[in-house]
Amino acid sequence: MTTLEARDLVKDFHVRVGLRRVRLRAVDNVSFTLTPGRTVALVGESGSGKSTIARMIARLEKPSAGAITLTSPDGRRVPDRAYRDNVQMVFQDPFASLNPFHTIEHHLARPLKLHGKPHGWEEVVQLLERVSLPGRDIAGRRPHELSGGQRQRVAIARALAPGAKVVVADEPVSMLDVSIRLGVLNLMARLQREENLAVLYITHDLATARHFSDDILVLYKGRVVERGPADEVILNPQHPYTKILASAAPNPEARGRAVEIDPADVERAGAAAAYDHNTGAWEEVGEVAT
Amino acid sequence: MRYYARKFAFYLVALWAALTLNFFIPRLMPGNPVDILMAKLAQRGGTVDPSARRAYELLLGTNSGESLIQQYFAYLGNMFRGDLGISVSSFPTPVSQIIAEALPWTLMLVGIATFLSFAFGIVLGTFVGWRRGTWLDSLVPATTVLAAVPYFWLALILVAVLSSALGWFPLQGGYDVVLWPGWNAEFIGSAIYYGTLPALTIVISSVGGWLLGMRNMMVSATAEDYVLTAKAKGLRDSRIMIKYAARNAVLPSVAGFAISLGFVVAGSIITEQVFSYPGIGSKLLQAVQNNDYALMQGIFLVITVAVLGANLVVDLLYAVIDPRTRVSG
Amino acid sequence: MTNLSAVTVEAPRGRAGWRSMLPRWSPKLGVGLGLIGVITFIGVIGPLLVGDPNTIRDLGLTGPGGEFWLGTTQTGQDIVAQLAHATRGSLYIGLLVGVMATALSALFGIVGSYIGGYVDEGFSLFSNVMLVIPGLPLVIVISAFVPADQRGSWTIAVVLAITGWAASARVLRAQTLSLRNRDYVAAAKVSGEKPWRVITVEILPNLLPLLASQFVFSVIYAILSEAGLSFLGLGASNSSTLGTMLYYAQNGFALQRDAWWWFVPPGLIIALFGCGLALVNFSIDEIINPKLRDIPRRDKAEAERAPAPVKRTDDDVVLTVNDLSVVYQVEKPVHAVKDVSLTLRRGEILGLAGESGCGKTTLAYAVNRLHRPPAEVTTGSVTFHDREGGDIDVLALTPGELRAFRWSKLSMVFQGAMNALNPVITIRAQLDDVLTTHRPEMTKAQRKAKCEEVLKLVGVDVRRLSSFPHELSGGMRQRVMIAMALLLDPQVMIMDEPTTALDVVVQRGILREILRLRDEIGFAVLFITHDLPLLLELADRIAVMKEGEVVEYATAQDMFEQPAHPYTRQLLDSFPSLTGERGSFVRSGEEMTPVKRSGEPTSPGGVR
Repeated sequence: MTTLEARDLVKDFHVRVGLRRVRLRAVDNVSFTLTPGRTVALVGESGSGKSTIARMIARLEKPSAGAITLTSPDGRRVPDRAYRDNVQMVFQDPFASLNPFHTIEHHLARPLKLHGKPHGWEEVVQLLERVSLPGRDIAGRRPHELSGGQRQRVAIARALAPGAKVVVADEPVSMLDVSIRLGVLNLMARLQREENLAVLYITHDLATARHFSDDILVLYKGRVVERGPADEVILNPQHPYTKILASAAPNPEARGRAVEIDPADVERAGAAAAYDHNTGAWEEVGEVAT
Repeated sequence: MRYYARKFAFYLVALWAALTLNFFIPRLMPGNPVDILMAKLAQRGGTVDPSARRAYELLLGTNSGESLIQQYFAYLGNMFRGDLGISVSSFPTPVSQIIAEALPWTLMLVGIATFLSFAFGIVLGTFVGWRRGTWLDSLVPATTVLAAVPYFWLALILVAVLSSALGWFPLQGGYDVVLWPGWNAEFIGSAIYYGTLPALTIVISSVGGWLLGMRNMMVSATAEDYVLTAKAKGLRDSRIMIKYAARNAVLPSVAGFAISLGFVVAGSIITEQVFSYPGIGSKLLQAVQNNDYALMQGIFLVITVAVLGANLVVDLLYAVIDPRTRVSG
Repeated sequence: MTNLSAVTVEAPRGRAGWRSMLPRWSPKLGVGLGLIGVITFIGVIGPLLVGDPNTIRDLGLTGPGGEFWLGTTQTGQDIVAQLAHATRGSLYIGLLVGVMATALSALFGIVGSYIGGYVDEGFSLFSNVMLVIPGLPLVIVISAFVPADQRGSWTIAVVLAITGWAASARVLRAQTLSLRNRDYVAAAKVSGEKPWRVITVEILPNLLPLLASQFVFSVIYAILSEAGLSFLGLGASNSSTLGTMLYYAQNGFALQRDAWWWFVPPGLIIALFGCGLALVNFSIDEIINPKLRDIPRRDKAEAERAPAPVKRTDDDVVLTVNDLSVVYQVEKPVHAVKDVSLTLRRGEILGLAGESGCGKTTLAYAVNRLHRPPAEVTTGSVTFHDREGGDIDVLALTPGELRAFRWSKLSMVFQGAMNALNPVITIRAQLDDVLTTHRPEMTKAQRKAKCEEVLKLVGVDVRRLSSFPHELSGGMRQRVMIAMALLLDPQVMIMDEPTTALDVVVQRGILREILRLRDEIGFAVLFITHDLPLLLELADRIAVMKEGEVVEYATAQDMFEQPAHPYTRQLLDSFPSLTGERGSFVRSGEEMTPVKRSGEPTSPGGVR
């Protein structure tokens, strides 16, 4: 079983302010494990560091500290050059993640070829059919001829092409129209079952996080402030920040309610302590350095 | 503040690069310019005093075995003292004096002409872009002919039509030669009269570029949300056009000033030649034809410094019109 | 050296990716290619057809006519023969410099910015320094140092290329910087592509239009500069270009002797060739920036707005939209809004829900006549029932009346986190110009007081008045937008996705503010969003739109309890409940079939 373990991930960005270089900590000591057949959701608002984590797992950014270890089914560490055979990513914006210049066939044949697989027309068509697209019809087309949902399916097929066992999905449906979002999520769920994939689902939407994933990590200012099984975290939130997020989600059943949320409440919630539903305990991590 | 510091630093680097280029070009080229110069001087019966020779050697390279680094620093020293050597073609006038006499002519001519063509181009571009798709807009492609016309050729045509055939303007020169240069109404009037045709050449050839750039940016800007907001606010069209669309659309034109200025300066140098205008372009040509290397390089440096200065001023102006550059962070 | 057109037009057919890179046919492109073609023909074939340009004949300066179409020089040389050879010389230099300068700019612009870090900063500094050092004086100096006998065409071309690449490099760098951060480049890296392949296969093709335009630009620059140099007598020795022709014409006193046939044709060829290239560049620019494309104009079919404005039936109603249709008048007209009727009551929040392309934004803009061509209202009416009595037929207002109507009766809040505030003027100026336009009688002090009052209403510090939009957070900007909408105490506010780009917590704060202000001030709101659950919570009544039609129009309560239309149910099911059941989202079950949708066209004018 291929598992991915992220331990104590830290990412610092350096920004120049005036003549000084200031360190901004985007991700602060985040750890989690991705195991086959399970989905871990990273939930947070913009600037919480969730996309940075996705990019580190996909090796688009180098962690400033901490380790990402991939273990193959025989218990050995997967060497770096085989990393990308196993870990792939689905990007947020299907309008940006496909090259407008190339055909769909190019987008799928290249990863097949790069990872030493047969990469003819038939293989590409099969791959497209696995994501429920009419392969023969679509393979010769270009991205601008497809709808957003179709593009995102192509992007998912691309991630599967190398035979990945771990898939990072960075807000895979937030740019899509609402009526097709669930179709794409359901597709991912089906593929996960069929391939026994380990999935890291990154989102700002608590509702899909709860239904789509097994475990949830709530991120705030680069730190995990709450973690645990999906239903536990959503239905029984402990950290004040999680509570605020949960109460801010639209809720038709609570018509006319006036949820008193003040951004200052969020500030007050802080990120000094994290709640773990698995142990049922708080863990002090100290104030965020500013 | 940081924006200003960065701009100043950049222009210092550019100035240094120009000085260095000026130092190395004669040393990298075939031939021995110092000897050519000396021969020329002797021909004209000039006395070669050792300090003059030394200045030439620093400028153009020496074979006296002095190290390049030593020459380089001595050269920089001379430059900062404003010592650009002595002209051969008008021996023994110092180069700096020749430049000082010619520079005001060019600065006034090119400065005023550039300002006028920028102003015309921006105003016309604003209207054409705002009224896009009308008959006015369909004339825009025609302006590319103007932009592609060689300056000096346009100058020749203008002279042939307006001066030779119609006799409206003088054929050449910077002022009526019977007058004595000075700050009096008669002389200034004459200078303006003589400068009109050269200025017209520069304006006609460069206005198309500004117009087109501004027009395209106006087209983009009118599609922006803030213009829609302004319309929804019920503002008058003229106000939306100026304060919302044009105010944003002009930024790239100002930012791209450096590129365009290069073209204008290049064009003006040759234009001066056509009009025998007493400016720095004609002097540069005189220097080239007489192998007056010291004068040539002095002029190159002065033009460069003037262009850098103009760009610096425009960059500083940019900070005033675009508040986003003023962010400290 | 022949076909510039090959670069831009003759790209291989049959590969659709290339086709998207080709300019769209237009009269401009036709004229441009025609000019280039004719002049290229003169330069390439011409020298084979004419005699020796240097043959000296004993007839002196003769005007056009007879054996010599364009006359002769003062030494009796045939001008036509000279022109053919000179054109060839100029084109040769232009092509040479174009290729070299484009290669240099690609090296410094693309490679530098892809590598990033210190390499990029170094390359960029170098390009910028080269850009501000004036090119032609430098070329003159360099040419003057090279002895005339060593000054060949190649030397001149190299010098021109070295002084002429920097502007292009800057343009290419900016574009590459934006391309290298695109997700498809990241996706290619994740697939395991090597850096050189990412540059050449993923990035470079998308730069082609820009490269072509920079190449064209370099060619113009080179031909003009070479002509200038030759005119000064500093061109390549023993070469024959249009510039040297002009040099000889000038030195042969062609001007003074009225020999226009000698000095007019060479300059004209340069100007026309440059014009041809510039016209081709127009078409390339339209690929790079689609906003520049001409809007296809259809003859305006006069709208048959049959329904007259609706008389008020009830003092409670503030806005009536009756049978409104909006059509995008493009080649195949698209009905974006079809016969929509809505009524907005005083103080109510009417939600307008639908997915992208359903026509909800087009409808909202048409109510205020903000729709842009090619969109046109074809039928229907919009009637505003004023608080002070009287009905206003919005679609019949004259431009002046419309300006007065906008904002004072009906104001709008756009997606404020985006671009709705003018980035270069202060918040104060943007609030103030509403008052100076609509309330010219107010004094400066009164205006200031009013601006501060509305900012306080939405909970923004009044010191923010002197801020610029970029200094505010997304939530703050949206509050400023709402404050601006409140300035004239309007009876209706149209809000177009006012909270979409914001984080949920900030979003909540804004919504709370809208509800509170509605209760205090009593304006009616037309609230447009794709988020149906949000509307169920917020709105009094909701209209669901699909493909330009209102498919369901009911109170929020009814819609929540018993949605009637299948599309409404489908939309509702698309939002899994946070605390409740999973809706149509079944992790173990079958996939949902995607709904078939048809979109409204994205018009070149940028109607959203």
